[in-house]
Amino acid sequence: MFQGFPEIKEALMSNKMQAGFMVAPMAVALRAQGVPIKIVYLGHRYGSAVVVQKDGPVRSFADLRGKTIAIPSRFSDERLILYRAMEKHGLTDRDLRMVEMAPPDVAGALAAKAIDAFSMGEPYPSQAEMAGFGRVLFHAREYWPDYISCVLVVRQDVIDTKPEAVQTLVDGIARSGLWLDNPPKKKVRREHAADFVGRFYFRQNPKLLRWALTNPLDRVLYQPLTPYRGDFELIVRLMRETGVLDREIAFEEYVDTRFAEGAKYVTEWRYEPGDHAAE
Amino acid sequence: MKRIAIALSAWLAVITTAHVALNVDWDVIVNDRLPLEKRKLNVAYIPVT
Repeated sequence: MFQGFPEIKEALMSNKMQAGFMVAPMAVALRAQGVPIKIVYLGHRYGSAVVVQKDGPVRSFADLRGKTIAIPSRFSDERLILYRAMEKHGLTDRDLRMVEMAPPDVAGALAAKAIDAFSMGEPYPSQAEMAGFGRVLFHAREYWPDYISCVLVVRQDVIDTKPEAVQTLVDGIARSGLWLDNPPKKKVRREHAADFVGRFYFRQNPKLLRWALTNPLDRVLYQPLTPYRGDFELIVRLMRETGVLDREIAFEEYVDTRFAEGAKYVTEWRYEPGDHAAE
Repeated sequence: MKRIAIALSAWLAVITTAHVALNVDWDVIVNDRLPLEKRKLNVAYIPVT
């Protein structure tokens, strides 16, 4: 487990890690710079929000003029969503002061009033809400339908030499997504996932993840996770417009869709809370 | 003097054993030493949903 996206980038480049989840624009930028990686799947859809101080003066996006707002990286969808909102409200990037901050630090920074707002993925918006000092100004979906943030990237040498391992990884994520988003069992399963992911993977209070995954149930979605051309062409266009990508890049250059195609017909994990193993 | 040396050695052994058991991720170390084709993939993530 890492605490920030730049560290994941370094670990992938040095082959310490062979695959990883990172914000989509960072993956595109790395590929554009010649780093041999490809996006093979998405981590989730939605699940990012702009959060302000609960009792602060910011009541609408326009009130953020002149304020300091934390983002996870210059190469993040959380930054691009701010540009989409700025465009709608007649603001420019000179009206906001954006600062890069590791995701686990933003809620504390907001509580300490070191920043006025943050644009971040879950569970940090939930953390600020739960603790009572933060208020969601808007969720990403309000400005960006089908919003995506984290994507799964894999080193090209692994794709070339171990495609079956990559397919197994993608199949597992697809099956988990189907399991989490199964309509009649969604709430019970998400609560269970919050409990074991919080305790055994994220080392976070399970109550926090339960809030993020169930309040409401569509706050974060795990389907569809196929990387669609249109979604990424929008990201590339926004990256170009906001000055973090200096050349055009074709979809095929940074996405390998064969694993998502291979996972198209998988079924959800056969597992219910309390079972000893998933099949 | 001898007693102190024994106690110190025992303490050092206990601390070293506890460190090696609790803080060293042996799965990663073993995996990194396997031939390339037999290694498991290391997947990086940060605690976001």
